[in-house]
Amino acid sequence: MNRRIRRVSRWIDDLLHDRSPRGFRGAEEDTNVLAAAIELQSASPSAGLPDPQFVESLRQRIARETQGEVPRAPRLSRRTLLATGGFAAATAAAGIIVGERFAGPSKEQHELRPVGAAWTAVALVSDLPEGTARTFDTGSVRGFVVNRGGTIAALSGVCTHLGCLLQLNVAARRLDCPCHSAAFGFDGSVLFKHMPDSLPPLPLMESRIRDGHIEVLTV
Amino acid sequence: MFQLIDGDRPLDWERVYRDHVTSIYRLLYHKVGNQHDAEDLTSQVFLEALPRLRASASGGEIHMYLVTTARTVLAGHWRRRLGIQVTEIDENVVMAAEAQGPPTDPLPRIRRILAKLPANYRRVLELRFLERCSVGETATRMGISAGNARVVQYRALQRAAELGQEVGG
Repeated sequence: MNRRIRRVSRWIDDLLHDRSPRGFRGAEEDTNVLAAAIELQSASPSAGLPDPQFVESLRQRIARETQGEVPRAPRLSRRTLLATGGFAAATAAAGIIVGERFAGPSKEQHELRPVGAAWTAVALVSDLPEGTARTFDTGSVRGFVVNRGGTIAALSGVCTHLGCLLQLNVAARRLDCPCHSAAFGFDGSVLFKHMPDSLPPLPLMESRIRDGHIEVLTV
Repeated sequence: MFQLIDGDRPLDWERVYRDHVTSIYRLLYHKVGNQHDAEDLTSQVFLEALPRLRASASGGEIHMYLVTTARTVLAGHWRRRLGIQVTEIDENVVMAAEAQGPPTDPLPRIRRILAKLPANYRRVLELRFLERCSVGETATRMGISAGNARVVQYRALQRAAELGQEVGG
């Protein structure tokens, strides 16, 4: 026990000196102790912002390794994929297209196969008077359709900060992020934010009107 | 702006990188607590995830994909460092929690946890983590032996971990 306590203390010393803590073969219960230490260490207000030099050097490394093109990754085994629980659900929910290297004969992987873009009706034009917005959810994509001065558009329903789902605030005519008190206007612009990070405007989704229906292009 | 593009068009990786590098780094930093590992893991996330993004979705949707990759990379990191096998259930729980992102200001939660600790536990953590004292200095200021300070530190972190689960986000 004493050895374990001593090892944990050394590990914390590394952490406090911002060194990468060495490997640690401890008992499973020690992991909670280490996690608590990490949480305390990470709590300082300045902690957790990347060094600009690192950001630039990683950008250059990606550029070098891609040679101007998106790099090819090694094939992921199905086992690796399944080991990361929630992967299929998360990517399906996010509507992300992933490469065909994920597609395979098994049922689980079939869910990840890109199905191509399609127009999906999400609302009736008649249900969207001027100055209003409605939430839509196609199962793969969640967003809002808005009518600004007779022009209808579709906006992503996911906050550009950390991916939280936005909520339609009818009274204030805005889209609220419940995570960090940010809000977007019906044109996607940032109305306010309470976080130090920059907050890009909400992306527009491709939309059209067909036979009185508002359709969005989804994957 | 959001564009659903055909599968043949390459991803604008520079933009994806620029838009997401800070939030992914922060997320990882909060999980490993040191710059070196956070930088290493952030590099892994982008080098692994960018090739798999074949078409661009909204910023938030790409973020979710990057977070998923970060979880995988992080699980590998802990497996190598601590010999821990992260189970599927753990991963699911963590995924659900992290869809909300890391807290912008973790201090209120830390303060709530510290406030609930017995005085000597709180003291040892304040000295070590807030005042950055060595074990020796901590022991001197608490009037106990260094060995004892390590034990109190261990017990305090154990209790903080338990309280952390009770306190929630």
